[in-house]
Amino acid sequence: MLDVGRHPNIKLMAYSEVEEVNGEVGNFRVKIKRKARYVNEDKCTGCGACSEKCPTVVPDAFNEGLSTRKAIYTWFAQGIPSTHTIDTEHCRQFQGKKCGICQKVCQADAVEYDQKDKFVELSVGAIVVATGYEVFNPNRIPEYGYKEIDNVVTAIEFERLLSASGPTGGHLYRPSDLKVKEEVPALEKSLKKLSKALERFEKKYGQKSEEFYKALGKEEQGNDPDKAKWAEAYEQKEEVSKRLSEYKAILEKMDVAKKLAFIQCVGSRDIRFYPFCSGYCCMHSIKEAIIANEHEPETNSVIFGMDIRAVGKGFEEYKIRGADHSSITYVRGRVAEIIQLPDKTPVVVYEDTMERVVREEPFDLVILATACVPNKGTKELAGILGIELDRFGFFRTTQANPVDTTRPGIFVCGCADSPMDIPESVAQASAAAARAAQVIVETEMKKAS
Amino acid sequence: MAGKKKKEFEELRIGVFICDCGSNIAGHLDCKAVTEYAATLPGVVFAKENLYTCSEAGILEIQEAIKKHKLNRVVVASCSPRTHQPLFQNSCKSAGLNPYLFEMVNIRDQCSWVHMQDRENATRKAMDLVRMAVARAAFLEPQQDIESPLTPRVGVIGGGSAGLSAAEGLSRMGLEVVLVEKNKELGGLLRNLHKVAPEGVDASERLEGLIQDVSSRPNVKIFTGAELKSLDGYVGNYVMNIRDGEGQTVKESVGCLVIAIGAIPLVQKGLFGHDGKRVITQMELEPILKKGKFDAKRVVMIQCAGARGDERSYCSRICCMIAVKNAMFIKKLSPDTEIRILYRDMQMYGTEKEKMLWEARGEGIRFEVYDPAHPPEVGDKAVRLRQPLLGREIEFAYDLVVLSTPLVAREDASELSQLLRVPMDQNGFFLEAHAKLRPLDFAADGIFLAGSCRYPATYDEARSQGLGAAARVGTILFKDKLVTSAIVAEINPETCVGCMGCLQMCPYGAISYDQERKICQVNEILCKGCGCCAATCPSESASLRGFKPQQLMSQIRAVMEG
Amino acid sequence: MSRDILVIGGGIAGIQAALDLAEMDFKVHLVERLPSIGGKMAQLDKTFPTNDCAI
Repeated sequence: MLDVGRHPNIKLMAYSEVEEVNGEVGNFRVKIKRKARYVNEDKCTGCGACSEKCPTVVPDAFNEGLSTRKAIYTWFAQGIPSTHTIDTEHCRQFQGKKCGICQKVCQADAVEYDQKDKFVELSVGAIVVATGYEVFNPNRIPEYGYKEIDNVVTAIEFERLLSASGPTGGHLYRPSDLKVKEEVPALEKSLKKLSKALERFEKKYGQKSEEFYKALGKEEQGNDPDKAKWAEAYEQKEEVSKRLSEYKAILEKMDVAKKLAFIQCVGSRDIRFYPFCSGYCCMHSIKEAIIANEHEPETNSVIFGMDIRAVGKGFEEYKIRGADHSSITYVRGRVAEIIQLPDKTPVVVYEDTMERVVREEPFDLVILATACVPNKGTKELAGILGIELDRFGFFRTTQANPVDTTRPGIFVCGCADSPMDIPESVAQASAAAARAAQVIVETEMKKAS
Repeated sequence: MAGKKKKEFEELRIGVFICDCGSNIAGHLDCKAVTEYAATLPGVVFAKENLYTCSEAGILEIQEAIKKHKLNRVVVASCSPRTHQPLFQNSCKSAGLNPYLFEMVNIRDQCSWVHMQDRENATRKAMDLVRMAVARAAFLEPQQDIESPLTPRVGVIGGGSAGLSAAEGLSRMGLEVVLVEKNKELGGLLRNLHKVAPEGVDASERLEGLIQDVSSRPNVKIFTGAELKSLDGYVGNYVMNIRDGEGQTVKESVGCLVIAIGAIPLVQKGLFGHDGKRVITQMELEPILKKGKFDAKRVVMIQCAGARGDERSYCSRICCMIAVKNAMFIKKLSPDTEIRILYRDMQMYGTEKEKMLWEARGEGIRFEVYDPAHPPEVGDKAVRLRQPLLGREIEFAYDLVVLSTPLVAREDASELSQLLRVPMDQNGFFLEAHAKLRPLDFAADGIFLAGSCRYPATYDEARSQGLGAAARVGTILFKDKLVTSAIVAEINPETCVGCMGCLQMCPYGAISYDQERKICQVNEILCKGCGCCAATCPSESASLRGFKPQQLMSQIRAVMEG
Repeated sequence: MSRDILVIGGGIAGIQAALDLAEMDFKVHLVERLPSIGGKMAQLDKTFPTNDCAI
């Protein structure tokens, strides 16, 4: 990644989009929109003073919304370029409120609120499309209860939970517990406020709130607005302190998730959504289970799948290692449903096809191995580039020319072509590079002769 | 030598630049104090604190100071050399200072960031680090990058789908190719196949097109029935010694090599009763299908035959697809034939293969899962299987059993691995430089790999890898010359006693023994500057440029002085 | 005609293609939709089967 940023032959245009492509192989004319960051890329040193002082907190998309960032931000800590960007949807300055803090604290004088989108025209001989994929939104499968059951997460969310640079510093706490933990300070604050209010009433009337409330008749409440407020405050306080003590009890028992369920083929190999196999997810789940076990040796994982597709160099061995050393059990079967117990424990309902029984098994955390599906922008980009898509919605290629799109001079690699694992993406990327180099060398030779 | 002499009498003029990195460094330690301290160190004639040394203003300041204060050493105390050393070195270079006279010290990642709570000690540690860097800088020597010529030709070993694709790719990129194939004919494994999945095109059609294309290219030289016997030289300048079809030895100079020798389908007598007649392998089935006549009415295919077990633990990736492809073709030839595929996991990864699996089910091909603890038993007339879903044993009468056996490494792969000095994995496949990020590279420079000799690959995968390897070659041979870092080992011929201790330690085969002079020598192109030889040499004759004892000791002494 | 090459997408595939082409001495324009390159792989903690760090 670093090499890209500093390579003299690479002009990096992040936060940019291709708008228009004309011409033909050897001579494409491309229009690129460089979206305004409102931060000058040449001046910003990435020091982070602006985001430190920015008052606006928003969910961090890089951490899958599991943590927060500021309205002026970098995509992730080691991101290249490290130039900050203003999220105008949330920034106070852009929402018409008074702020301007980031501009004031920036010692490099890089913040430019009046920056505009810029358009760049390029002339290129060949184009490589490597736009990747997106993960399937499991909301579409109601029986898995994603977003309704706190402790059901996607594989990529789980990845952020495992990461030392992620929202939990790599500790595998259950999202339901994290939610509780997050709410405690607000509850404590409101408890304090309510107690103070009660104290005021107690002083005024020389009576303990508890006694007042006990003695309070129904009709009395409506008559005296002051006493009605007192009663209301008392009820609220009782409610809040009850919830707070429940939460504290939960946090006292709070432990990292140790019993994990991984559910394969969420959205893939499923004719309701995507019929194809996403290729890498079986290995992804095995890896996540192994890493979780490395973090906490008591971790047990069950991977539910129709087939465990460990197809790749060293993958089958890795899968066996997972079972032998990382307490992974592989269960053949498709999970029917996930339900939730009152204490937020998710329960997996499945048929064990090897044992011929239907089981219900509770887990600390359930991870959905979501499908690798075409990016939302794929269709639009295909239109701009004038290339075709295949029946699955990825860019069309043929077996004889695995990186050639339907338009000469435009090549595709990685998951934009079809779901694949990292080494295959890398090999294909080199293949696309070879093809791009070839068409330029060949065009030059044709011109010379 | 003259330069060296001059250096000894040269007055030291060291410039030190301390970076605040905004608040990243200055927020946690006293950069002003560190700068003032640096100015007092021996040899330092200029010290400056910058808000960002890496900014345009910072770089300009370094370059002006080099000229104005006649600096002959530059030290920057900032962030990680991994990210910023090249920038600073190039800036020194364009201001007329040899880039090897630059020294960098990290007072951020390993100082301000880790001692955020302890300003005083963080400042002291930064001072220690700067003192060490200055001490080392004093002993730095100017170096020249090593340049060597490149031969813009490529040797491709293996003429199957991967090798042919690499040859085609390289040739179209304008590079000359020498293709060496062991068999009399090009084509590799594809030659034995009937159809190619998932598109179902005739293998011969695919193959002939590719062979025609490669053979007709004027810049491709093809040796068939030939073998690479030995290899001399190093990246950019290899010499292949080939034994050609007539048994003559031919020398061919090439700059890089692509290894694509493929793998072979396992045929093991007795495996599930294999007899080559009623119990055959998928590869043995292919020529039968090619003839277009098929009589067997009851076919049982057994997946993972000889794979994913104790003897061979790996999954061969492509056999499930081959089985489904052949089963579907049998259905086409003989729709009444009953086919059962006994499997453990159907490895139909990706878009098109999974689609094939659905279609095969739609054509009535039956899939029966088996547990490796209870593998199918092939009897005289029937295959017996414990069906987990039913929970009992069932029997399938058969006319033909087809075993899906894995691709296994070629026997001659180990010979080639020794000859090229490239590693193999426990299964006899070649081992790439990095499983994820460098799948087509060997750790050795200038040698690349593609296709099933790395790990079983489908036709499209082999083709992508062959083309990809061509690009990897291009990254070396599209340049005018090979430029490598001057930080390599040297061996003093005056003091070397030829004990060959270093020769055994060198992981890159960069050291050779000169029989005549009875001393060891370093090949600067092969040397990666790891320093193993310098650490081993009992007579201190081997040393690493830029990390000589004097340079390292000065740094160590400096830390003790603190 | 132009010798420059446009790479669309700054994930692992786009990065590899851009680096290969740049090393072949072609001028590469790398366009990324998001504020920085790295793609999905940057979001991964570690990668199989070697459990190496993803970044």
